[in-house]
Amino acid sequence: MVAVFQFGRRPKNPKKILKAIAAEKKSGRGQDASAMSSVLLAPATTLDTATAAPLRYIFEAKGIAKKFDDGQVQALRGVNFRVSQGDFLAITGPSGCGKTTLLQMLGALDRPTKGTLLYRGNSIPDLHDPSSYRALEIGFIFQAFHLLPTFTALENVQIPMFESRLPRSERRDRAVTLLESVGLGHRLKHFPAKLSGGERQRVAIARSLANSPSVLLADEPTGNLDSENARVILELLIRIHCEQKMTVVLVTHDMNIAQRASRTIQMKDGRIVSDRESINAGV
Amino acid sequence: MTFFTVITRGLIRRPVRTGLTILGISVGIAAVVALVGISRGFSKSWETGLKARGTDVVVSNMVSSLVPKPFSASVRDRIAHLPHVDATCDILVDLLSIENAQMIMVSAREWGGFSWNNLKLISGRMPRDVAEPAVLLGRTAADVLKKRVGDKIQIETSELSVVGIVDGNAWVENGSVILALPMFQEITGNQNKINVIDIRVTPSTSAKDVELLCEEINRLVPEGRAVLAGENISKSEAYRMVQAMSWGTSLLAVLVGVLGVMNTMLMTVFERTQEICVLLALGWRRGRIIRMVLWESALLGLLGGVAGVLIGAVGVKFLGMTPAIRGLLEPDLSMSLLAISVAIAVAVGVISGLYPAWRSSQLVPGRALQS
Repeated sequence: MVAVFQFGRRPKNPKKILKAIAAEKKSGRGQDASAMSSVLLAPATTLDTATAAPLRYIFEAKGIAKKFDDGQVQALRGVNFRVSQGDFLAITGPSGCGKTTLLQMLGALDRPTKGTLLYRGNSIPDLHDPSSYRALEIGFIFQAFHLLPTFTALENVQIPMFESRLPRSERRDRAVTLLESVGLGHRLKHFPAKLSGGERQRVAIARSLANSPSVLLADEPTGNLDSENARVILELLIRIHCEQKMTVVLVTHDMNIAQRASRTIQMKDGRIVSDRESINAGV
Repeated sequence: MTFFTVITRGLIRRPVRTGLTILGISVGIAAVVALVGISRGFSKSWETGLKARGTDVVVSNMVSSLVPKPFSASVRDRIAHLPHVDATCDILVDLLSIENAQMIMVSAREWGGFSWNNLKLISGRMPRDVAEPAVLLGRTAADVLKKRVGDKIQIETSELSVVGIVDGNAWVENGSVILALPMFQEITGNQNKINVIDIRVTPSTSAKDVELLCEEINRLVPEGRAVLAGENISKSEAYRMVQAMSWGTSLLAVLVGVLGVMNTMLMTVFERTQEICVLLALGWRRGRIIRMVLWESALLGLLGGVAGVLIGAVGVKFLGMTPAIRGLLEPDLSMSLLAISVAIAVAVGVISGLYPAWRSSQLVPGRALQS
């Protein structure tokens, strides 16, 4: 099944594509749902050597463009890049350069006006069920945390799990484990209003890991935090990346954070102006 | 945490707004319970009253008003000899304002007729003869009129004595002033007029024969219409109009409830736009978002319905105790009416939630990334 979609002979039924992706994930780290130690320490997706080469890139963008407001605003102008499995990629650039738009495309939150955008060889805009893709493949971390205010930390982490069909008790156990792993085992029943900014973002990170995604997409995850909390959050993301070999794509305009990434893409006016490995990478 | 937790949290985040919306629905549902309960109760009270008197078939002209139209007492002669007719009793019934009671049932019965038989004396005695200027009061009527045995009672221009208080084994009977037919015909100037003939059929008459008897009477008596006891009120045009007005008023109240819930749910969707976008970004399907809004809306309806049924039931009981209504009818608070009312409330919730749910499903998940 893996080979079927890896070598371009994609199943015509898009649901089959997602099934195939899920099967591949399972074969690589099927044991990662039971405890946080295994959540964070689970091996990255291991591909069959015969099929690994074509799937070296988890994301591939070819000439993607995005226009808003009937073409009056062009957010992306022919962007080309590849993200490898296990990359820790920082996208930087001034406000309005198109980095958040690019993140939206990767997360199937928006569609490019032009170009090709692939996830493990499958076109993201053509996904039949983008909800499943967002729920099971992607973990989102937002600048403003976006925790639901009427739910406790424990409940917030369980919110994405409704799409995973896990039994209620397993959802809860998994959420407890995730919160403990981000150092919030003592804050399970606290509502977001009773948490500090750093704690809220840690809850959001635990939430992003709820369904054991393949990729974390983080939009300015430290943008609303003081320097100390920003450092803690960045270390946490790096730890998750290292322990799980998880692919992380992080949008930031803070060059100090970008320098910790293994690779940095710099954007300007909807184009990639530089793409380089970081010299002082902390990962 | 279950999906139901998500739904209830959505409602309790704005407790005042949720409470006011529930109150809005409950007022509409209370109106349904009260108005429909009263109009149904009117019909049911008549039915039980007739059954208590041992009446199987009633001949009356209920077409144009809640009180039957008078016709000549000679009509009885055309009926009494028909097969399966065991006994008949002429009655002249009217709704009158008597002393402090704004509207009370006066039931004048043929002296010696079977319709006196169900009356059980609680105190006093039965009238001695047809000529005695005396009345019996049903127990509720005595209470409403604040009369005891020996008191005088003013009916139109005549003063009569209360000689007994009776239990008639039915709400309408207990709420009535009962006297001999000739006395009331004279007081109201309806000499030789009656407006109801109670008919008791011979025992073991089949339902088919009773039906044939009604058809025969209807052929012989164009002045009135023979129907099975209890059906006479529900076939009255006036009653049907009252019932239609009850439902009409109730539906207006319900419509206000629909708008209230829709407004609340739209506000909820607008207020939670970013939250819904975040849920979409986290992988929630649009169908789940729609279900969330619809369930919240339905739950609002359910809570409003339950509260409305309680308010309506208490309100109707309270109305039933007011002097204007007391003794005239027993509100019908049957389980079916209460269940229908709650079902209407839930339907109100679901219908009101359709548009907000559709709006929520149109949101774009990309907005989650806009801080």
